[in-house]
Amino acid sequence: MSDERTTARRAGEGDILAELEAEVAHELEEQRPPAGGPTYQVVAALVTLAVGLVGAVLAQGYGLGSLSRPGPGLWPMVVSVVIVVLSLALLLVGRGLDDSERFSRASVLPLVGVATFIALAFLIPTLGFELPALGLCVVWLRFLGGESWRSTIVVSLGTVAAFYALFLYGLRIPLPHLF
Amino acid sequence: MRKQTLSLAAVASTAALALSACGGVSTTTGGDDGGEYPSRSVEMYVGADPGGSSDLISRQIATGLTEELGETFSVLNRSGSNGALAAAEVQQAEPDGNVISVQNASLFAITPLAVAEDEVTNIDDFDVVGGVSRDDYVLVTNAENPWKSIDDLKGAGKKITYGTTGVGTGAQLACALTYESGAIDSEAVPFDGGAPALTALLGNQVDTACLQTGEAIENIENGKLTALSVFAPERIEFLPDVPTATEQGLDVEVYQYRFMTTPKGTPQDVKDTIWEAMQATFETEDYQAFNEQNSLTPMEIPGDEVVDALESDKQRYADLVEEYDIDLGDAS
Amino acid sequence: MDAFLDGFSVVTQPGNLLYCLIGVLIGMLIGVLPGLGPAATMAILLPIVVTVDPVAAVIMLAGIYYGAQYGGTITSVLLRLPGEASSVVTVFDGFALAKQGKAGTALGIAAVGSFVGATVSIVALSLTAPIVAGWALDFGPAEYAALALLGVLLIATIGSGHPVKALIAASIGLLLATVGRDSFNNSQRFTFDSLQLADGLDFVVVAMGLFGVGEILYNLEERHGKVHVPAAVANIWPSRKELKQATPAIGRGSLIGFFLGVLPGGGAVMASLAAYATEKRVSKTPERFGRGAIEGVAAPETANNAAATSSFIPLLTLGIPANASMGMLFAALLVLGITPGPQLLEERPDLFWGVVNSMYIGNLLLLVLSLPLVGIFVRILRVRPAILAPITALITILGVYTINNSVFDIFVMIAFGILGYLMKKVGFEPGPMVLAFVLGALLENNVRRALLIFEGDPTGFVTRPISGTILALFLVAAVFPVVQAVRRRRAATTVPDETTQREDVLR
Repeated sequence: MSDERTTARRAGEGDILAELEAEVAHELEEQRPPAGGPTYQVVAALVTLAVGLVGAVLAQGYGLGSLSRPGPGLWPMVVSVVIVVLSLALLLVGRGLDDSERFSRASVLPLVGVATFIALAFLIPTLGFELPALGLCVVWLRFLGGESWRSTIVVSLGTVAAFYALFLYGLRIPLPHLF
Repeated sequence: MRKQTLSLAAVASTAALALSACGGVSTTTGGDDGGEYPSRSVEMYVGADPGGSSDLISRQIATGLTEELGETFSVLNRSGSNGALAAAEVQQAEPDGNVISVQNASLFAITPLAVAEDEVTNIDDFDVVGGVSRDDYVLVTNAENPWKSIDDLKGAGKKITYGTTGVGTGAQLACALTYESGAIDSEAVPFDGGAPALTALLGNQVDTACLQTGEAIENIENGKLTALSVFAPERIEFLPDVPTATEQGLDVEVYQYRFMTTPKGTPQDVKDTIWEAMQATFETEDYQAFNEQNSLTPMEIPGDEVVDALESDKQRYADLVEEYDIDLGDAS
Repeated sequence: MDAFLDGFSVVTQPGNLLYCLIGVLIGMLIGVLPGLGPAATMAILLPIVVTVDPVAAVIMLAGIYYGAQYGGTITSVLLRLPGEASSVVTVFDGFALAKQGKAGTALGIAAVGSFVGATVSIVALSLTAPIVAGWALDFGPAEYAALALLGVLLIATIGSGHPVKALIAASIGLLLATVGRDSFNNSQRFTFDSLQLADGLDFVVVAMGLFGVGEILYNLEERHGKVHVPAAVANIWPSRKELKQATPAIGRGSLIGFFLGVLPGGGAVMASLAAYATEKRVSKTPERFGRGAIEGVAAPETANNAAATSSFIPLLTLGIPANASMGMLFAALLVLGITPGPQLLEERPDLFWGVVNSMYIGNLLLLVLSLPLVGIFVRILRVRPAILAPITALITILGVYTINNSVFDIFVMIAFGILGYLMKKVGFEPGPMVLAFVLGALLENNVRRALLIFEGDPTGFVTRPISGTILALFLVAAVFPVVQAVRRRRAATTVPDETTQREDVLR
C-alpha cells in the first residue's frame, strides 16, 4: 500500500462498516424470536461434522487417484475435509453465537406445512392437482393462517381456478388433472 | 393448536377417502388420443448442450418436420453422459412418436467402451427410423503452435494435452487412438462438449483437441487453428488439404453419424410418416445448405442399414481399443 | 455497435416490453413484501418462466431482480421494515425522514438515486462487458477454478451470516454438486444406487427447496398477524435543495455500487453498506446520519441498484454468477438451453444486448411507476401474509413438478425445503450453499482439468498470471476478516495508539 491516506481511510471505513453491521443486527433483533442457545450451535456443528466425515469415508471409496490423475473421490475428499475442519472450528467458536432461533409451539406450523406438501406430492399423480391443491389452500388459510371460513373458501377456490387456467390453458403445461 | 391439528387431519383423511375412488387423471391438455400422427406437439430430445452440431442438426430436422407435418417439433436439450440421458427420455416414453430423438452413433458404438455394463445404452431398445448425416472428427491445434502434422507432435518433446468433447465420445477415441498408436506422450482433458473444448484450444489452454469438423472449420479457415488430421476413410470434401490419419501411417478411422430414433414398438405408420417427412426435409435447399455450412456429409440411409453400421463399428472400435490397450473409462 | 442497437429493437418488441414490465412489477411487489427475496421469487417462478421465449424469460427474471431493489426501499422508509437485505441501511435515515413527515422526499430521492445508479451501471456494463468477454480466451481451467473459488469464498464471508457457518454451508453446497455421475470417468458418486440421483441433483429443484420452500416454511412460523401502520406519504418530489444535497452521494453511490457489484460474491447488500459508510465518513456533519440525512437514503439506494446491475457482468461474460439471484438466472439460462459464458456475446448477441438494454427500459419503467404506485403498494402491505402463503406454496410445488414432470423432484424440493428451514433456525444462510452448488461442478471440473494440464503440479495455479492474481485476492479476502477479528479483540482489551496499529495490520 503506497497511499497512506487510502489505507487509513479504508481502515476507518472498516470500522464504520462493523458499526453499521452491529446496528443492523440490533435493528433486526427486535423482530427475532429468542435465540436457541449453545445446544443449537453444538448440534448444528455436530451434524455438519457428521456430513463431512461421511463424505470423506465415501470419497475415499470412490478412489482418490493422484494429483496428476485426480480420481473421482479426490475433490469430494478435499471438500469433506474442509467441512470437517470448519465444523470443528464452529464447535470451538460457535457456542456463544446468538444467531439461532429457538423452536417454539409455533414451530408446529411449518411441520403441518411440510405434511401438506408431502401429501400433495403423493396425491398429484393419482388424484390430479385440483383437489389436493384445494385441500392445501384450506389447511393453510384456515388452520395455519387463521383466516375466516368465508375468506378461506373464496381464496382457495379462486387460487385453484387461477392455477387451472394458468397451467393448463395459459402455459399448456401437462399437469396431472382430474377435470 | 392440537384441536386445530386434529380437525385438520380429519378434513384431510375424509378428503382422501372421498377422492381415492376417483380415477382418470390425465396429464394432457387437448384430446390427443387416436387420429393422425402427429396430433400434438412432439418433443425431440437432444443429448447435448445448445450450439454443438448435435443440437444444430436436431433443430434443423425439427424445423423441417414442423413444416412438413404441421405440428410443432420442439427440441429439448437434455445433455449429459454423451446423450444417454436424452436416450433414456426416449426409451421411457410411450411408443407413439410424440417423443423422438436424433441420436449419435458414438453413444452406441463408443460409449459402451467407457462405461459400466449397466449404463450402456443399447440400440435394441429403440426403433431406428433412418440415418441423417455423417460428421467427421478433425485433430486441430492452435495456429500459434509449430505443428503441422501428427509426425510433428511426435517430435514435440513434451507431453501433449488434448481436449476432448467428453468421456466416451468419438472425439476422445480418435485422439486416444492417434496418440497411443503413434506412441506420443499425451494427456486427455475432457470438456463438457465441443464449444468449451474449442474455446480452450483457441486460448491455447490445451495443445490439441479432437473436434467435429463443423465445430472447428470456421477457425481452421480463418487461420486460428491448424488441422493436423482427419479420421475419415478418405479425405473429406470440406477439408481437402488435410490428410487422413491412415495417410499419416496410423490405423485410426473414427467418425460420428446421426439417425432418427423412436421408442421401441412405435407403430410402423408413425415411423413412415416421420421418415417421409425427413426425406422431404433432406430435399430442401435450406437443409442442404445447412449440411454444407456445417460440414456434414449426408448419410440418408434406411434404419436397418444404420443398425448394421452401428454393430460393425462397435466391434471395430472394441478391437482397436483392446489392441492399443486404451482405457476410455478412465479419462486420464 | 450494430448488435447494441439491435438489442434495443429486441427489447422494444411489444412482447418483450410486456415481460419487462411484468418482471419489474413482480420485482417491486416482492421487494415490498418482506419475506420472499428476489432469488426465492426467481426460483419459484423459474419453471413457469422458461415456457416462454428465452429472451423474454431472461428479461423478465432480470426485471424481478432489479425491481426488487426499488421495492425494498418503500417498506424501509414507511414501516422501518426492510423488504430486502440491501435496503436495511436505508431504514436508518429513511424512517427518520418519514417520522418528520418527509416520507415522500425519501422515496422520491431513493427512486431518483436508484435510477441514476442503475443507469450509470448499465452504461458501464455496456462498455466493459465486451472487453471482459474478450479476455475470456485467456481464461483457462486454472483461471475459472480460481475465480469460482474466489466467488464461493466472497459470498460466504461478505454475506450476512457468521463466516464460519457460511463457509460450512458453501462447502456442503460443493459436496452436493458432486452427487451423480463424475463427468471425467463416468463413475457414480453419492447416488446410493438411486437412478434418479444418477444424473445429479437438479439445481432449480435444490434452489426452489432451499430458497422457496425454506422461506415459505420459515415465514409460516413467524410474522403472522402483525399490523403495520405505514407512515403517510405526502409530496414525493424532492426539493431542489435536497436534490443538490443528494447529488454527490448519488454519484459516489453509483461508483461504489458498480465496482462492488462486479466482484463475485459481492453485490447489493455490501454496496449499500459501503456507500452509507462512505457518506457518513465524507460528510461534514456526520451526526445528522440516522436522524434523517437525505444522503443516508440516496447513497445506499443508488449503490444497491448500481450493484444489482453490474453483478450481471461476471455472469454474462464469464458464466460465473456473482450472487444467489445471478445463480438463479444462470440456472434459467441453462434450462432455456443457453450456456452463459464467453461465447454468449458472440453466439447470442440478441439475448445479450436484449437483456442489457432491457435494463435501460426497465429502470425507466421503475422510475415512472414507482412513485405513483407507492399508494398501491402501501395498500398491498395490508394483504395478510396468510393469504399469500398458500399461493406461493402452490406455485412452488406445481412449478417444480413441471420442470421434469417428476414427482421425485417435488420430494427432493421438500427435503431441501426442510433443510433450508432448519438452516435458518440454527443461523445458517442458504444463499452460500445454493451459490456454491451452482459453482460446484465448474470448480471441480476446472480444478481437475488444470491438474491434468499441469501434470499434477499445483504450483501451476499460482504461476499463471491471471489465476495467480485471483488467488492472491482470494488469500486477501480469506485473511482479512481474521485479521479484523483479531484486531477488534485486541482493541477491546488494550487501547494503544490505534491509527498506527491499524495501518500496520493492514499493510
